[in-house]
Amino acid sequence: MRDHSSVIPLLKTIGPFNEVADDYNYQSAWDRLSTSKILVIGAGGLGCEILKNLALTGFKNIHVIDMDTIDLSNLNRQFLFRHKDIGKSKSEIAANFIKQRIGEDNINIIPFFGKIQDKSIEFYSQFDLVISGLDSIEARRWINATLVNLSSSNNKIIPLIDGGTEGFRGQSRVIIPSFTSCFECTLDLMSQKITYPVCTIANTPRLPEHCIEWAHLIQWNIEFGSTKKFDADIPQHIQWMYETALNRAKIFKIEGVTKQLTLGVCKNIIPAIASTNSIIAASCCNEAFKLLTDSNPYLNNYMSYSGDYSIYTYTFENNKRSNCSVCGSLPKKIYVESYKTLQQFIEDIKDKQEIQIKNPSISSISGPLYMSSPTELQKITKNNLSKKLNKLISNGDEIVITDVNLPISLRLIVYFTSDEKDPELN
Amino acid sequence: MTIDKDAKYDRQLRLWASTGQSNLESSHICLINASSTGCEILKNLILPGIGSFTIIDDKKVSNLDLSSNFFIKNNEINRNLATVTTKNLNELNTEVKGFAIEKSIQDLLIEENDEIFWQQFSVVIISDYTPKLNQLIDILWSKQIPLMIVNTVGFYSSFNLLTSETTVIETHDPSKLYDLRIDLPWEELQQFADSFDLDNLDDQEHAHVPCIIIFIKALQSWIKTHEGQPPWVSYTEKKNFKKYVELLSRNIVLENNFAEAVSSSHRAFQITDLPDSVKQLLKISKENPVTKNSSIFWIYIAALSKFLQLNNDVLPLPGTIPDLASDTKNYIDLQNIYKEKAKKDQKLFTEQVESVLESIGRSKDEINNDSIASFCKNSRLLFVTIGSKKFISSHFIEQFNHEKDQSKIKKYLIYFGILTFNIFINEHNRLPELSDLKEFIQLYNEKIDSTTLAGSDVKVFEELLSHNTRNYTNLNSLMGGVVSQEVLKLCTGQYVPIDNLFVFDGIESSSEKFKIEY
Repeated sequence: MRDHSSVIPLLKTIGPFNEVADDYNYQSAWDRLSTSKILVIGAGGLGCEILKNLALTGFKNIHVIDMDTIDLSNLNRQFLFRHKDIGKSKSEIAANFIKQRIGEDNINIIPFFGKIQDKSIEFYSQFDLVISGLDSIEARRWINATLVNLSSSNNKIIPLIDGGTEGFRGQSRVIIPSFTSCFECTLDLMSQKITYPVCTIANTPRLPEHCIEWAHLIQWNIEFGSTKKFDADIPQHIQWMYETALNRAKIFKIEGVTKQLTLGVCKNIIPAIASTNSIIAASCCNEAFKLLTDSNPYLNNYMSYSGDYSIYTYTFENNKRSNCSVCGSLPKKIYVESYKTLQQFIEDIKDKQEIQIKNPSISSISGPLYMSSPTELQKITKNNLSKKLNKLISNGDEIVITDVNLPISLRLIVYFTSDEKDPELN
Repeated sequence: MTIDKDAKYDRQLRLWASTGQSNLESSHICLINASSTGCEILKNLILPGIGSFTIIDDKKVSNLDLSSNFFIKNNEINRNLATVTTKNLNELNTEVKGFAIEKSIQDLLIEENDEIFWQQFSVVIISDYTPKLNQLIDILWSKQIPLMIVNTVGFYSSFNLLTSETTVIETHDPSKLYDLRIDLPWEELQQFADSFDLDNLDDQEHAHVPCIIIFIKALQSWIKTHEGQPPWVSYTEKKNFKKYVELLSRNIVLENNFAEAVSSSHRAFQITDLPDSVKQLLKISKENPVTKNSSIFWIYIAALSKFLQLNNDVLPLPGTIPDLASDTKNYIDLQNIYKEKAKKDQKLFTEQVESVLESIGRSKDEINNDSIASFCKNSRLLFVTIGSKKFISSHFIEQFNHEKDQSKIKKYLIYFGILTFNIFINEHNRLPELSDLKEFIQLYNEKIDSTTLAGSDVKVFEELLSHNTRNYTNLNSLMGGVVSQEVLKLCTGQYVPIDNLFVFDGIESSSEKFKIEY
């Protein structure tokens, strides 16, 4: 039988750096390991590692959520999956593998094959700690906002430990809702998807990427209209993208369009290896272990790891921002050129690093300016899109931006700059 | 590579491409001690597809092993550790060959004194305490096989890379500087720049002149009007040059190319010269002439030295340019001028490599065009370091005694504590505990540094002894990731590895790296 002989020495003796030595108690540390309910979000590269580490360090009640199925390209790092598992649910296969390896009697692990947004607030409030190993920024914002909202509305503090990797680099961080900075506070630090200006793609392509984006963003719609949606997981679709991009590249004498690059651009692929997942997941689990057992102080509050040029780590305290749209109390300021229409303003904020809202609905004090859903409201408000924003609101007015997919109300104070003319229209 | 393999390894091929992958697939990794850390390292190497691995361990699976090692199954207690972990790890990737040797390192060193046994390995990894370590170090050092030694104790860990020399061509320099030769255009580039008459272009054309051309023109006219002085002599002059470029624009709001020139003016200030790191390499190469047994890296350096003599001390042109605001034609024409020049330089360099090979009696068949292209692309960014086979040196101790930074002092102590931990095991055949603190400190004073420790320093040792387990999964797995990254760098021959000691503090979640000099 698998026992806990490797965990006991970490809890039995109080170390000299323990900051709560007077209250520390071996038995209660032990009880917290076996009774705490942990939620793992993501059963991919980080998730597989996190589940293994939690299971081996004595955690007994684990839930795991992932909406994805297993793909061939996962097998170079997601070590709980085999070739025969391709197409099956990541969370279910991962949970089964752990149960089988660790022993059914040793661990209770419950998978959920679906989106995090499908679960209720009550579901989330049952956990003592959440660890996320996600590649989507949107999902991380969602869980962060959900947990911060729980802390302010229900007074229930559920720590969130978040990990992320890219190639040889990664970061782990500890978020204690309402006490430390939250994910949203540092949204502008996240590396952003590379985008290319539409006029370059349409008129003056120079890079192979420009040709691929032309096929992807322009030609596909012209060819198939709205009848067929592009799906990067369908090989024929990628083949079409590749051939279309290649033809365009030939016309412009641009070299370097390959199938690998086509796939990378269309799917926004981030390089990933097992090693980095191992480092970051272990760091997250080490923090979870210290936080729940009080065996040693936990990370305050951010560590980044970089292994591509020698090894470099940076540990620091990320500060809370008072104008954070999730955990702050103040609105953000935004400067808008006076010539901009509501439509142009919406396009701008979608791309803004600290905002990044895909389907914004916008309201001012006097009522909705534009509602992206439901359809009825969209119909009523869409006439505003072509109006100039400075005709709809005044300088210094506050507006609120929401998105049905995010539990966030983003408050902005709008200041107009004196640019009256659109330079593009000259 | 089959289609299936391309898809399976897609996420890593974007880091090291097919050249790195084929290097990886021909590597053979040896692990001594099938510890939890060791198995984590191998997991991260088997998944991306090393060629083969060998685990050496004569021990039987204990409860403690099972408790912390994911690659042991519940019914495998008392079976041989090397055999069960080899089998379980091998399930991760059927294309990798796994071998188990059920012997202790002591026995192996007696039996396998034939030279060939160790020669088969690309890298040897030792995790946790191992007896007869010095003998093993000597063997591997003499064969130039890198040895990685990793220890984790409780929340602390350290990792040494012992190797005589590390050379990297494809360093993937993260600074992403481009070598554009704006200060020193060659004939074709100058002609191309001259073909633009900025004053007589229409507005549309003027807004599509690539900024490299703008820089070349601006720099040359600036130098003419500034008594031959380039603008990079001072901060003020740099700022003035930026203004100067901005004033060349007809409308800076509309002309993206000029806006780009202003915001990327650092490119115009890049001076074409020989970096000190390259000068150092040439010096080493001059002092140690190549022989029949020299590695291809040093043959390239010898060839580079000849190349520089023929090319006015200017390195081979990498030939890549960044994306620039421009119309398609101007950009592609410019790109081709850079590519052509790079090809020309490569040809001249290849001739030098041939002549070096000939002079040492080696065949020209060794020449690999991809490898030469890669060397020429990276000649500004080559990495070389001379390693050490020591765990401590008097110089290192001296550094420690002069260190003022508390966080660094702590990392030194973690490392010294781990070394002392292993010395204690060697002497007592058991793990030290908190009650051994006094003896532990004595041992430290005797074997590592005789200076008396401050009270705050002793805390680090207390921590080590309070949580004296080598099987804390999270630290095992974390170091498994760290060490495997370094193995990947050595095996693919890409990215710059650690030089040569890394210490991690899992309480503060911070790290430090040190270099132990030979």
